[in-house]
Amino acid sequence: MSTAAAQQLLVGASTDFLRHFSPFDRMEPTALAYLAQHAVLGFHPRGSEILTPEMGPSRHFYIIQRGKVQARQTGAAVVTEYASLSMGPGECFPIGAISAQRPSTNAYVAVEDSFCFQITADEFLHLMQISPVFHLFCTQYIASLLNQSRQQLQTTFSQRAAEQQTMTTPLGQLIKHEPVCVTPETRTRAALEKMNELRIGCMVVTDAERRPLGILTQSDVLPRIVLAGFDLERPIDEIMTANPHQLPASASAYDAALEMATHGVRHLLVVDPNGRLKGVISERDLFSLQRISLRQIRAGIENATDVSALQHASRDIRQLALNLIAQGIGAEQLTQFISALNDALTRRIIELALDRHDLVGVDFGWFAFGSEGRHEQTLSTDQDNGIIWRCPELQDTEAVRRRLIAFAREVNQSLAACGFPLCKGNIMASNPDLCLTVDEWKERFGDWIREPDPQALLNASIFFDFRVLYGNERLGDQLRAWLNKLSRTSSNFLRMMAANALQVAPPLGRIRDFVVEDDGMIDLKKCGARLFVDAARIIALRTGVDSSSTVQRLRQASGKMGVSVEEVSAIIDGFHFIQLLRLRSQHLETEHDADGDNRIDPDALNELDRRILKEAFRQARKLQLRLKLDYQL
Amino acid sequence: MNWISRFIGGRGEGDALEPGIAEALAHWQALPDVDLSRAHFEARYVVVNTEATGLDLDRDRLLAVGAIAIDGGLITPVDSFYATLDTSPSRALSGLLAFARKDPLVVYNAAFNLGMLEPLIEQRLGLGLDANVIDLYFLMPALFPERHGNPVRLAEWMESFGIETFQRHHALGDGWVIAQLFLAAQARALAQGATSARALLELERAYRQYRRKA
Repeated sequence: MSTAAAQQLLVGASTDFLRHFSPFDRMEPTALAYLAQHAVLGFHPRGSEILTPEMGPSRHFYIIQRGKVQARQTGAAVVTEYASLSMGPGECFPIGAISAQRPSTNAYVAVEDSFCFQITADEFLHLMQISPVFHLFCTQYIASLLNQSRQQLQTTFSQRAAEQQTMTTPLGQLIKHEPVCVTPETRTRAALEKMNELRIGCMVVTDAERRPLGILTQSDVLPRIVLAGFDLERPIDEIMTANPHQLPASASAYDAALEMATHGVRHLLVVDPNGRLKGVISERDLFSLQRISLRQIRAGIENATDVSALQHASRDIRQLALNLIAQGIGAEQLTQFISALNDALTRRIIELALDRHDLVGVDFGWFAFGSEGRHEQTLSTDQDNGIIWRCPELQDTEAVRRRLIAFAREVNQSLAACGFPLCKGNIMASNPDLCLTVDEWKERFGDWIREPDPQALLNASIFFDFRVLYGNERLGDQLRAWLNKLSRTSSNFLRMMAANALQVAPPLGRIRDFVVEDDGMIDLKKCGARLFVDAARIIALRTGVDSSSTVQRLRQASGKMGVSVEEVSAIIDGFHFIQLLRLRSQHLETEHDADGDNRIDPDALNELDRRILKEAFRQARKLQLRLKLDYQL
Repeated sequence: MNWISRFIGGRGEGDALEPGIAEALAHWQALPDVDLSRAHFEARYVVVNTEATGLDLDRDRLLAVGAIAIDGGLITPVDSFYATLDTSPSRALSGLLAFARKDPLVVYNAAFNLGMLEPLIEQRLGLGLDANVIDLYFLMPALFPERHGNPVRLAEWMESFGIETFQRHHALGDGWVIAQLFLAAQARALAQGATSARALLELERAYRQYRRKA
């Protein structure tokens, strides 16, 4: 047939062209043939728009044959780090938009006379289906978008971190103590005694309205008082430095540093708009603005001798977490790192408590549950803990338990003092129900598994993520091994857990992108992260994975479940993205577990983040679908 | 006397059409004329190109014909035609007509291509082609005077637009070039308000008249 001969020549020519470029060079022969068969060639003169957001959902996928096409961002929101991107032969567009069947975010304009092959959206989707190579190419492209978003997030954080803790911080925020001041007629001896007693470097002299009149610093003492043989009974105003340097509370740390450097002083007075003393800023206060390092915090925790020192460390952990986001650490490392420091903090609190409670001879382990148990702590978390122990021979079980509970109570209180609020549901080691021997824990878990009523399922979701944070880890390992063995054979229990996990669906809308609550918000914990966490827990129990972390559970189970590495990575990426968004919404200023944490307004996200969030929810849905199939729910 | 007997009578004796060809031709002839005022984005054009032993109309022989459809401003590689004339010239030529339907034809250098095709069609099939033919040889300089103000060889337009092909001097290989040139021509014509085949034909005629006067 004559048409066949012609087709062979022309389709062959298209195939040869495509073969010069990635990913078509690696594409399966049948998929490449399909593409070449269906690709038609169009012309776009210089300056013409090929595709714009206004054209609605993308109907064609383009591969540039010749010429140059520029992708330009449109609208106010800049969604990627490039403002425009030039593309040449072999490059293709749009990928994200056509995969998601939505309008393109970029405008694609021919900047030279250009020829482009094009296929329809349906052909594109079919190609994704029949070609694993092409599918991977497109999903990796989406993953690269994810990367761009992270960089963008980091930029935002850098700015915020800069505002919070660098030289642009207003002085008003740097004042640590109420200022100490005396009146001008105060005897010099009394003022110096006060300085010594309070261990302060300077004394401010004010009038009755607290308006600064002068200042006396430690470094003035030697030349003006000691060497000059000044009579300490005389009033302080005779030796103070009059007209001290002052700055308003709104001035920045940078202004203060400049003022100090210019006038060679080590202290500055901060005043309110009425000229009244608000506080004193020392040179040392400015030095401490420099970034807090991980090592410093660890050293601070390890050397802490009381809870107040640990309170400082706790604040530093939050500050450092913010810095690390700004430096571009991903959600996985970041949450692990927060967990690691919080672990160190908790361990130190336990050690300090052990000094006062005699538990010698009692074999115990301090359990962390929930997000702490999974190494997934964000900046907002309350305490979930317990104790597992073994009663020493010839000792009264209840007497030992009372000692453990007294000890646990102190640890719980100290943790609360360090910013981990007491658990409202009383999931704490000081609760006698959670201070159990190995056998008692087995009994407890066994009851939940044998009789999975709603409360038991809820309990399972909290307590199954246990790990030993302090003490004898073998007690935890023993319990884990026993638990995995029991639950694997309890298919009914796993099925109930799965049904429970499926009660909350990812908030993806049919018409709108997202299903939001009445106030227009999405709870990223309840409707996002938890979906991954719950599914991973069940999969781990089923496949006998020992890890208590969601990501490790998914990774380790994937091999046993026959899920491809790419598929698991996509799910994990989705989970991480949601975790990163949660971290972003948890402000440094707010207390742990404050209202409003974890809730975001999807409309306030930029277009790129919206797209990725949607993809992340799709991954959650995929994971849920897996459960549905496995348990025929 | 119907049209079949008319062209049968026109052929040499003993040169009866192979089975099926007469029906195909009848079908082709019965096609209605196309509306030349249709916009490019809804019209089908057919690029036709020939391959001969040389460039002398009197001495050289036609070897092959190729055709590529441009539908709605897009080249569709699967909508194409190629045939050599060595085994059955009448089958090849009637195949070309069936492929082209009554759509406007696009050629590069009508004098040569149609000079080869038309006599042969008349001789072998006993009918006149009588098609609307757009000749890019004249239309290109009319539309792109900034590139070439006078008619030039195909190779020069290829260079100007950076167009390549899989095989030069092949009916379909050059046809692929002409088809791409025609896409560019359509886009430029559209920008000038020449939105239909009729407008293209008028543009071409005006250019030729202007050249004669000059």
